[in-house]
Amino acid sequence: MAKKRYAIVLDASKCLNCKACTVACKLENDVPVGQETYRIWVTENRLHGNFPNLTQTFQPSQCQHCENTPCASVCPTNATYKTEEGVVLVDYDKCVLCKACMTACPYDARFVDEHLAAVEKCTMCYHRLPDRDPACVETCPTKVRVFGDINDPESKASKLLAKNSYYRLKPSVNTRPRLFYVD
Amino acid sequence: MTTHTERVSNLASKTLTTSLIVIGIILLAIGGYASLQVFLQGHEAVYAVNREVPWGLLIATYAYFVITSTGLAFIGGLGHAFGFEKYSKMSKRIVVMAFVILLAGFTQIGMEIGHPIRLMIYLILSPNLNAPIVWMGVFYGIELVILAVELYIIFKPNKKESDHNTAKIVGFFALLVGVLATSNLGYVFGSLNARPFYHGVYFSIFLVISGITAGAALLLAIHNIIYKFNVPENLYSSMKALGKLMGAGIGVMIFLYLWKILSSLYTQPGDSYLAAKALLTGPLSINFWVGELVLAVILPLAIIVFSKASNMKALGIAGIVFMIGLFFTRYDFIVAGQLPPMREGLAGSGVHTVNGLAQYAPSATEWMIFALGWGVFLVLYFLAERFLILDTKEH
Repeated sequence: MAKKRYAIVLDASKCLNCKACTVACKLENDVPVGQETYRIWVTENRLHGNFPNLTQTFQPSQCQHCENTPCASVCPTNATYKTEEGVVLVDYDKCVLCKACMTACPYDARFVDEHLAAVEKCTMCYHRLPDRDPACVETCPTKVRVFGDINDPESKASKLLAKNSYYRLKPSVNTRPRLFYVD
Repeated sequence: MTTHTERVSNLASKTLTTSLIVIGIILLAIGGYASLQVFLQGHEAVYAVNREVPWGLLIATYAYFVITSTGLAFIGGLGHAFGFEKYSKMSKRIVVMAFVILLAGFTQIGMEIGHPIRLMIYLILSPNLNAPIVWMGVFYGIELVILAVELYIIFKPNKKESDHNTAKIVGFFALLVGVLATSNLGYVFGSLNARPFYHGVYFSIFLVISGITAGAALLLAIHNIIYKFNVPENLYSSMKALGKLMGAGIGVMIFLYLWKILSSLYTQPGDSYLAAKALLTGPLSINFWVGELVLAVILPLAIIVFSKASNMKALGIAGIVFMIGLFFTRYDFIVAGQLPPMREGLAGSGVHTVNGLAQYAPSATEWMIFALGWGVFLVLYFLAERFLILDTKEH
């Protein structure tokens, strides 16, 4: 049987910008309060159109769990590593806080966690898998995010990718993210 | 028998070195206090580096010191291994200076990295050989050992012929490993997928060239300081040779600057373009035009050209001005590449930008750690001047 390939498929058009995902992430992962300490975010894109016909879209995002992983390549101690399912994690005990991973990440998805004394980032709530979905997925009222094994054609994530066209962020940097945005 | 003039000169020299040691101790005390703050409050509380610009002043100062050290080792290697007698006349000072300034650099990286001891442990237990930082540690570690061996050889009493041969071999490896270390430092930045301003071969070359230039400039400056701008005649030929080396180095730097900036501007609207614009017209523009260009290029080059590299005092001033300007060069290099944000600073993104660029200005504590580095250099180097004989009588 093929290995699992975990991914998150997002339909950003469903996003209400309620930020429940960011709160759930903070609580689930004990992320410190602070302007720079966040694992996931919801960007409020620029308004489209002219008054009164205005539209605003949102882009929820987080660590892209890249298949081609720039942060892991530059980590001197192998503190950043990939699980066999492709989830990019940090071994906090090995992190030396050189911050090379932060400068190498094209998505600004990493930050220094003073409590852990290490660089941290989204883990896809690896501690909950496979029994429960990541906290951001579980809590979303409009189901923007769908988590699943994209090697399993019967998973919700695979079906969404099969039915929709999708894009990934910053394809020019060739990181091959595991976060897919359906159009 | 010493003459009255020599005795007065020796006394003045001792006063000068003692004064510089005292200044160094004051800087060490400032740096020591800052280090205590870092240990007690943590890096995040006292440093201004942030999520968008994770590497700041301390990495810049680290680069400034260690690259100058390898530049000195390069010049020392030319003297020892390749028979450039003009440089070998200064070999003791070169080795002592290279060793001490490398230690000063290590204080900066030691205070920048959150877990320096853990780094040393896991570099052995779990190294990622694909990571350029691993090789940075390896090369600079080896360079420190090589320089320590060189120190031992040059101060060894009753040197034999075999010691001279050993010095040649060790000098060659100091040069080789120094070039590897510095060019690898360019690779540390060049390997950052997200930062196109650093990509390519440019910085590896620029750092080596500017490092050698810095080595020459520091030697010109220190010799003038030690001899109170009255360098003895027997060093004239060495000083002139260093002046020419420095002038040639600046010439190559101009060439590299020109093409780097122009090629970056043509990547609009990419991040290299944004970084170049940050240098030319953005938040780093004063650093760039005044520090990098006027102090590290135009003034020293003009002094060298107009004095025909033969006025010792002028060479000393050129060296001092260049070393001040070079600090801005290193700072700008580190910061400019990180200013283009990885995500647009829109509401909710968590990214903080001004005019589309990330922001960074060093904190007081970072400046105090910078003082620590200079304290280490001044105290150790001028203690060596004070208590050891650094004039090379023969080679």
